[in-house]
Amino acid sequence: MTSKDLVLESAADRTTRFERDALVFTNQLYAAALRYTKNPEDARDLVQDTFLKAFTSFHQFEEGTNLRAWLYRVLTTTFINSYRKGQRQPLIADNELEDWQVAKAQSHTSDQGKSAETVALESLPDSDIKRALQEIPEEFRMVVYLADVEGFSYKEIAEIVGAPAGTVMSRLHRGRKQLREKLTDYAKELGYSTESSDKPSIKKGGSK
Amino acid sequence: MSFIEIQCSEVLSSAIFIIEDELETVPQAAQINSHLTHCAPCTAEIEHERLMHQMLADVLRRSCNEQAPEELRQNINRQIREQIGNYAGATEVVTQFSMTEISIEVDEFGNIEHREIQIEQTHIQHFIDDED
Repeated sequence: MTSKDLVLESAADRTTRFERDALVFTNQLYAAALRYTKNPEDARDLVQDTFLKAFTSFHQFEEGTNLRAWLYRVLTTTFINSYRKGQRQPLIADNELEDWQVAKAQSHTSDQGKSAETVALESLPDSDIKRALQEIPEEFRMVVYLADVEGFSYKEIAEIVGAPAGTVMSRLHRGRKQLREKLTDYAKELGYSTESSDKPSIKKGGSK
Repeated sequence: MSFIEIQCSEVLSSAIFIIEDELETVPQAAQINSHLTHCAPCTAEIEHERLMHQMLADVLRRSCNEQAPEELRQNINRQIREQIGNYAGATEVVTQFSMTEISIEVDEFGNIEHREIQIEQTHIQHFIDDED
């Protein structure tokens, strides 16, 4: 039988390990916090709180497992529990599954629609990309950010946000869709367009 | 083997699973794959989705790369020092629990299976002296 090494890490060693392994994610966590809170002051506070919580519970973190995912989980739960109180939240959770079924009514996209999207993604400046991200509902914004910027798998995201994997997939689908629609709209407003730019928009509820 | 037809709309609503390489989690995965080998519009649509997703991810990564302000870094470091300061004067009590569960099973053929499960738990408490 193997005997386990039961010598505990000293507080000083733990601190060194934390500074070496965890603090390298400061920039990344700050960028994510900006997406979550939508303002620099709250983002700073959120990252600071996150590192404090992470440090005080660092002995619970199992070495060898994904530290980055663990830090994002601390960030996300801290945000959900402390920062969004008082903010009005869109109630999307209730009809989420239903909507996922409804989303089945899909058809092929027109070529015109395709090129408008391509143009939008190719031409819009960073500020518009961030604005569009801010405007989609929080639940969608989080999963799109975690998947497409941070590259987490949908199973990791399920752990981070504390939602079932199926729900994450649905949010990811709808979040990306809304984001692309917004960006296409911005591009039209700004006059970036394909050859059909002179024609009036035929989007329902459309332009004046 | 019978070929079960599946609608374009069903294939397209599973686009996200295809893009995320998770098609095998969809019950009609086989029909979808078979449909894609025959249906050019669906194949083109999925390719478009893949491209759009790649472009979206690229612009998002490019846009969301803010640097943490220096003040934040300093605050985090200070906060950690304060925590260590708290621990420095504290009495650390470490309680460790260890349990080994041993089970031996003999099946109908006389094979013996032996299993050991070790359960360990560590609990750390800090008692901080109130007086300075």
